[in-house]
Amino acid sequence: MLAIAQDLKPVRPAPEPFQLALRMAPLALLASSLILLAIGPRHDMASLGPLLTWGASAAQFLLAIALVWIAARESSPAGRLPVQVVSFAAIAAVVVIVSISLLTFSTSPASEPVLRVPSRVNEMLHTAPWIMGFACGIGSTLAGCMLVLLFSALFRNSLVARPVVGGALYGAGAAVAINAGWRIACPVSTLGHSLGAHGSAIIATVIAGALIGRFLGNRRLRIGRPAGPLR
Amino acid sequence: MIRYQDGSLAAFEEIYARLATGVRRYLWHLAGRPEVADDLLQETFLQMHRSRAAYNPKYAVRPWVFGLARNVFLMNRRAARHWAKLHESRDALPEFPVLPDADRLGSQDEIRRGIAHLAPEQAEALLLHLEWGFSFEEIAGMLGITAAAARARASRGMADLRVALTGFQRARV
Repeated sequence: MLAIAQDLKPVRPAPEPFQLALRMAPLALLASSLILLAIGPRHDMASLGPLLTWGASAAQFLLAIALVWIAARESSPAGRLPVQVVSFAAIAAVVVIVSISLLTFSTSPASEPVLRVPSRVNEMLHTAPWIMGFACGIGSTLAGCMLVLLFSALFRNSLVARPVVGGALYGAGAAVAINAGWRIACPVSTLGHSLGAHGSAIIATVIAGALIGRFLGNRRLRIGRPAGPLR
Repeated sequence: MIRYQDGSLAAFEEIYARLATGVRRYLWHLAGRPEVADDLLQETFLQMHRSRAAYNPKYAVRPWVFGLARNVFLMNRRAARHWAKLHESRDALPEFPVLPDADRLGSQDEIRRGIAHLAPEQAEALLLHLEWGFSFEEIAGMLGITAAAARARASRGMADLRVALTGFQRARV
């Protein structure tokens, strides 16, 4: 009681989960657009059409915001969604990303890394295409992790319950948002690249989110000080 | 809770006075030992203090605090790497009042023994609804299940409790 009495500074209440998700949307949109601003859209935009480029990415972005909303709900002690809803959202995210990748590949199976960069860079990518996979995987992982760190500035006071699951869901939201923008810039549509390099980046970002959630949860809730033996 | 977020110690004391007894009994039910429940109760209100900014008036305070208590119990269970076994016989069962629908079927001791032999998830849903008065929607939000699942667990728990109490009655006769 004394410790609490000495620490009674007023605090600003956290926003509702939906408001929290909406606050994260501009951050996600900005991070997702950076790669587009850096190297421009892919060269086969015309053959893919607006639905499979901007439309599919917009759908992915909305899915990302939904995952962030679920993360905010899951982190509240009294507002948890049924486990079936969380599982369905996770499966839906996988299905949406795989489906969009398959549709993109079947419409325009681009395998040549043609970028709006100096010609010697394109020549290097032609001779060593694995560099493109490496660049996409590492690049989108870094972008996703930075977005999760930005998210954590907003959700750090809201991770009351299940911080690891909450963090993983925030990571999933960040990963799907980054992929929404990255797929419009990345010129390679082969399944090995889109599901391999980009898919690995999504998984790595989810893991990063879980680790950030665990760190924030442990730091705030001081795990490791068990309250006596439980039998 | 809003006054507490604004920095009112009196508001915290009021919340503690209203909720501590019920939360302690809930933690006793989860942990199985009164001394562990006392430690977890302190931890729960400390976590409530640390997390007071995360409370949103959209949620009622009681299920929020009870959900927080459940989370504290689960985290400590993981940290201690032990599992609470509700089916073990104990020297000291929590002092629950006689449940409204069961008081005709047995003594308080028989009811406590009957509850101790229910499946953990059934006992928890039954007690949260009948003992602590949470709605099935509130229980669903605390446990991460649907309201229908919460209702089904409580209903099956009550049915199994009646069977157990009938058995105790026959054994007495």
